[in-house]
Amino acid sequence: MIFRAVEDADLIARVRKGDVEAFNALVSRWEKRVFNYLLRLTASTEDALDLSQDVFLKAYQNIRKLDDPARFGPWLYRIAHNEAYSLFRRRRPETALENLNEADVVSLRSPAPGFSIDLSLAVTAALDRLNPEQREAVVLKVYEGFKFEEIAEILGAPVSTVKSRLYTALDLLKTELAPVNTRGKLQ
Amino acid sequence: MIQAPSDHPGEALRDYAFEELSAGERAAVEQHLALCGECATELERLRVTTAALRTLPDREIPQRIAFVSDRVFEPNWFQRFWHSGAQLGFASACLLAAALIVSAWHFAGGKTTEVRTIVQAASVPTEQINAAVAKAVAQVREEDLRLIRAADQKRDAQYRNQMIAINEYFTVQQKRLNYARVSMNETGAGQ
Repeated sequence: MIFRAVEDADLIARVRKGDVEAFNALVSRWEKRVFNYLLRLTASTEDALDLSQDVFLKAYQNIRKLDDPARFGPWLYRIAHNEAYSLFRRRRPETALENLNEADVVSLRSPAPGFSIDLSLAVTAALDRLNPEQREAVVLKVYEGFKFEEIAEILGAPVSTVKSRLYTALDLLKTELAPVNTRGKLQ
Repeated sequence: MIQAPSDHPGEALRDYAFEELSAGERAAVEQHLALCGECATELERLRVTTAALRTLPDREIPQRIAFVSDRVFEPNWFQRFWHSGAQLGFASACLLAAALIVSAWHFAGGKTTEVRTIVQAASVPTEQINAAVAKAVAQVREEDLRLIRAADQKRDAQYRNQMIAINEYFTVQQKRLNYARVSMNETGAGQ
């Protein structure tokens, strides 16, 4: 993790000197994670892809404003968070998962290899029942693996608020997923 | 410090599950877990739940993102310049340029008035111009004649004065000659 951070910092230094290929290297490292983060927030492949492109374009244009290159990840996700919520504000209240097309629903609920479709459906349904703030806290912690301080930076909220959202969400998810877990492969 | 099973770690147990504790705090929770079956079960449920969440895999991005070296995507010239450390030089150059512009504008103001004056004069009727020119020429000629007359008078006066002086000179010389003759005659008569 430390080695990776140093490498990102080196790429960022090159980008600041006008090296576009260095930025493309950064994009290739982060695009899948950013895309999946946005996909879990928007539940739309098209929106997630469009937003991802916007995120990296903004990152390139503003990379000189990044004070600490070692914090590139949280900084990038902060841009992604802002872009996603800008989209939500423009489209509200049309951002609910009910408006997803069939392809997105099938794609989102496809399980990882070795896990049942029941479990994946149950997980997706359980996540859908969380409010957007709780869901984003879960996504950033469980799927993206950020530390609480980093999540606080991304969301622009105190660590205590982040932990409160996450743990409330996990209590709900435990209840939702308990029957599935007892039947599924995880038990 | 967590010592007894009755003193459950609460939030620290969840922080422990997400590896957010310091080494000392982690050791304290592990010590508690070794003695508290309730907390161990709670930790297991938490891990099962997060494991269930992780069964949803990451998807591949359907279209790779790449940037080309295009001026549209690059920082504009001002951003590049402003981050180049040349702000002070730029400010000095701006001040100098402003001073030059103000100075040039100030001196250009007189010339502009002069041009405007010429344009206005050109719009006066030709008759008036001719009359004005004839009047000016007449004035000049009259002045010239006056000066010529004055010069002639001055020259005549000088000539008359010179003639008077010459006559006086000859008169004096004639008187001296006569005097000499008289003196010679008196000397010859006396011998």
